[in-house]
Amino acid sequence: MAQQPAIEPMHQFQIHQIWAGPKFDIGGLTFDMSITNSVASMIAGAVILVLFFALTARGQIVPNRAQALAEGLYSIVDKVLVGPIIGHHGKPYIPYLFTLFMVILVLNLMGVVLSIGSLAGATLTFTVTSQLAITATLAVLTFFSVFFLGFIKHGPKFLGLFAPSGMPLALLVFMVPIEMISYFVRPVTLAMRLFGNMLGGHVVMSLFGSFVIALAIVGLSGGVAALAFVPSVLSFGMIVALTGLELVVAILQAFVFTALATVYLNEVVNFGHGH
Amino acid sequence: MATQTHDEAAPGAAEAAHGTATEHASSGLPQFDFAQWPGQIAWFLIIFFAMLAFIRLFAAPKIGGTIDAREAQIAGDVAEARRLKSEADETAKAAAAELAQTRAASAKLAQEASAKAQAEVAARLAEEEAKLAETTGKAEASIAAARAKAMTAVEGIASDTAQLIVEKLTGKAASVAELAASRG
Repeated sequence: MAQQPAIEPMHQFQIHQIWAGPKFDIGGLTFDMSITNSVASMIAGAVILVLFFALTARGQIVPNRAQALAEGLYSIVDKVLVGPIIGHHGKPYIPYLFTLFMVILVLNLMGVVLSIGSLAGATLTFTVTSQLAITATLAVLTFFSVFFLGFIKHGPKFLGLFAPSGMPLALLVFMVPIEMISYFVRPVTLAMRLFGNMLGGHVVMSLFGSFVIALAIVGLSGGVAALAFVPSVLSFGMIVALTGLELVVAILQAFVFTALATVYLNEVVNFGHGH
Repeated sequence: MATQTHDEAAPGAAEAAHGTATEHASSGLPQFDFAQWPGQIAWFLIIFFAMLAFIRLFAAPKIGGTIDAREAQIAGDVAEARRLKSEADETAKAAAAELAQTRAASAKLAQEASAKAQAEVAARLAEEEAKLAETTGKAEASIAAARAKAMTAVEGIASDTAQLIVEKLTGKAASVAELAASRG
């Protein structure tokens, strides 16, 4: 009787240490700077990004395919998001939004493209953007950068954001708290959207991956149990289909995060211009 | 459930404490293991800002600059092509105008030449006709003179013959007045 492997779809999100680093205690928090599988994936993502731009940012007037890819990605931020949403005042913020887009995109795609490594149970990959700590960091960083930029650019007038103009005073009493809640819930939704999308797909893929192996092992015992090969193969087909879906989700969520950041930034840049 | 938390108190026990066996037993999402948050966030911020610096200082200016340069070059080339086209159009228009002018001039010249030639022909014709009329008149006059002369001679011969006939028949010569009366 073959031993059944445990079905543990959450195992892929487990952080484990690869190399022990220093620990710092700052303000009651312990910053464990050890290289974990999560940190290793981040570093790998950074290396991929640097290599990608080193190879593709060639500056030729007539681009080759790689350069066209990099310029296409840049144009998504420049021509699809910042141009139509903010206008030419948005130019200075393109590097930040492009960094946001590229970092999320690379980390998302690494989780899908390299996920083949997870099938055999060996955790060769780690989806950094499926960590709430990371998506929350990105969301809070982006949200509060935008929020404080509003005060830097417009001063206390920026608080008018919470008070829609032309509203009677009696309604303002209700409207201001509602507007504030809907505003400050933005980082939460930003973080949860990316986290949930990356988590859900990977859990489902891992489950189907487990089914492939578990059902095949059942099928190996022969007799009527050989029928278990059918769902095993079907599960494998599901993984193939889900991998395609997850590729789309990986790209789409990077785009959505950046698009929302652009929309939030637009409120600040074009504050009081009737937008 | 104490086994799921990480062994922070023992720095020496690195790999063993994080062995997968203990972690498999954990329930719930590993993402909510908040002990992992500070280190992960710190690392992520370091890497994110490094990437931001890299893209801000190298990738974005390079790619954005290339796209701008390409757009500028295309716009410049299109403008240059437009300018050349309008120039060519102008030249073609000028050439067409010149051609039309030349054509009109040559048509005028041809008309003039033809009119002149016709006038010359008419003049020559009139001259020749006049000459011909003169010659004809002279000829007619000389014919008339010759005729008159011939007629006189014929009259002489006729009167002589009549005189001879009358003489032969009557035996006496007819007088000139009688001969003249007999001619009707």
